[in-house]
Amino acid sequence: MITFQSVSKQYSAHAIALRDVSLDIAKGELVYLAGPSGAGKSTLLKMIAAIERPTAGAVLVNGQDIGKLRREGVPFLRRNLGLIFQQQKLLNDRHILANTMMPLLVTGASKAEAEQRARAALDKVGLLDRVKALPLELSGGEQQRVSIARAIVNRPQIILADEPTANLDRASADKVLDALRAFHRAGVTCLISTHDELVLDGAARVIHLNQGELVKEAA
Amino acid sequence: MNRWLRQHRFAFGAALGNLRKAPGSFLFNVIVVAIALALPFTGLTLLDNVRPVSEQLSVDPEISLFMTPQTARADAEALAPQLRNVLKAYKAKITFVPREQALESLKEKSGLSDVLGTLGENPLPDGYVMKLDGFKNAADAGHVDALAAQLRALPGVDTVQVDSAWVKRLAALLGILRLVLLLLAVTLGMVVIAVVFNTIRLQVLTQRDEIAVSKLIGATDVFIHRPFYYTGALLGLAAGAVALGAVALALRPLNVAIAEFARLYASEFQLAALPPLGVAALLAISAGLGLVGAVLSVQRHLARLN
Repeated sequence: MITFQSVSKQYSAHAIALRDVSLDIAKGELVYLAGPSGAGKSTLLKMIAAIERPTAGAVLVNGQDIGKLRREGVPFLRRNLGLIFQQQKLLNDRHILANTMMPLLVTGASKAEAEQRARAALDKVGLLDRVKALPLELSGGEQQRVSIARAIVNRPQIILADEPTANLDRASADKVLDALRAFHRAGVTCLISTHDELVLDGAARVIHLNQGELVKEAA
Repeated sequence: MNRWLRQHRFAFGAALGNLRKAPGSFLFNVIVVAIALALPFTGLTLLDNVRPVSEQLSVDPEISLFMTPQTARADAEALAPQLRNVLKAYKAKITFVPREQALESLKEKSGLSDVLGTLGENPLPDGYVMKLDGFKNAADAGHVDALAAQLRALPGVDTVQVDSAWVKRLAALLGILRLVLLLLAVTLGMVVIAVVFNTIRLQVLTQRDEIAVSKLIGATDVFIHRPFYYTGALLGLAAGAVALGAVALALRPLNVAIAEFARLYASEFQLAALPPLGVAALLAISAGLGLVGAVLSVQRHLARLN
């Protein structure tokens, strides 16, 4: 489903984010990207979402070469992806139901349909009773669960989570991870980056990156 | 409702939402744009009122035709049918002026009868005076030069004088006024575009986070741009309506002053507001200018965000 073929990403002569990375991720897999800060985990995820383009090599998502994807095609690629960030990127002037409805409204869904599906998504992450709350009225863990609800509301094929448990206490982190694992069990392909070794407990597949290189792959 | 309409409705709602968030700023921008629009709108209203008046003005020119001194009287008189033929499109009043009558008239009008009496013989030629009728407006007077050229080509004709200089001046003056108004409209139109451009720039900057999130969740450029386009068009439309309202209000005191002046000339002339079609056209132009400002701003500033 996702293939990296000798992918490198260089921002400048001294800033190399990825070096000759090759990997394959099958449909329905749950893969963790591990490594310290600056290892290239975020860059790797950004390439799948066409936020960054490779300097060399090819990134294929469902057989589509992201490097060759035209600008107009990017939104349609992202509609099949659920993106979760360390900083949740919620809009603080809108309640969480409105935040969760956004991915549906941009596709032209009706407001009624968007609201119904957003409520269902918030229910899955345990926040149905807080739909009218503003993001800043929620804890960090709850905000991250809202961003998960927003990521899954479009029923994506792939979820990309970049450090979703960073800055969260253990209980909140577990809730976030439980939610992500539940979507994986439902058949969604998940890539989760982390530098927290505790998150990797019991992981089926872990890809270790360091200084932009794939240093170890554990199954 | 189909998806396209729904997305437009969403964009329109988002534009209204943005305006509601900062009503004071929107109102201020509407006033600035309305002031810029009011000047050309006033000029257009005045021209629209003056045009029918100028069309009613008597612009009938007079043409004087002089025969060569050698032309015999009989030949000169025989020219009348040819003159009528040339001027058949106009209700021309053609008067033959024999040289003797011309000399008498000159003596009377110039007060130089003593001097003219010393001349051995009459130096003036036979001639015609033609008063033309049927000119609709000052612009038509341009045709007189073509007529004069035709008359000059007739046999025995020495000189043709056209007394329509003032008509030409009026036509030229109206032409200049139109040009000035056009230049004014273009200049102030650019001011409107600049104001809307800046307004949208500020909106893009304040909504940077929302734009970034929208892009990440799969919004197309068109989806992101559309609310800003609606905002620009709404700003232009509101400003156009305010400007037209201000012009209509200004006509009241103006008409009081004009009524007193017109009464001196036994006229009931009054300035009238533009007809509904004109109002609709100006509102559409205002909205269009707002849209152009928004498009330019969005394309420039969102490209930078990208």
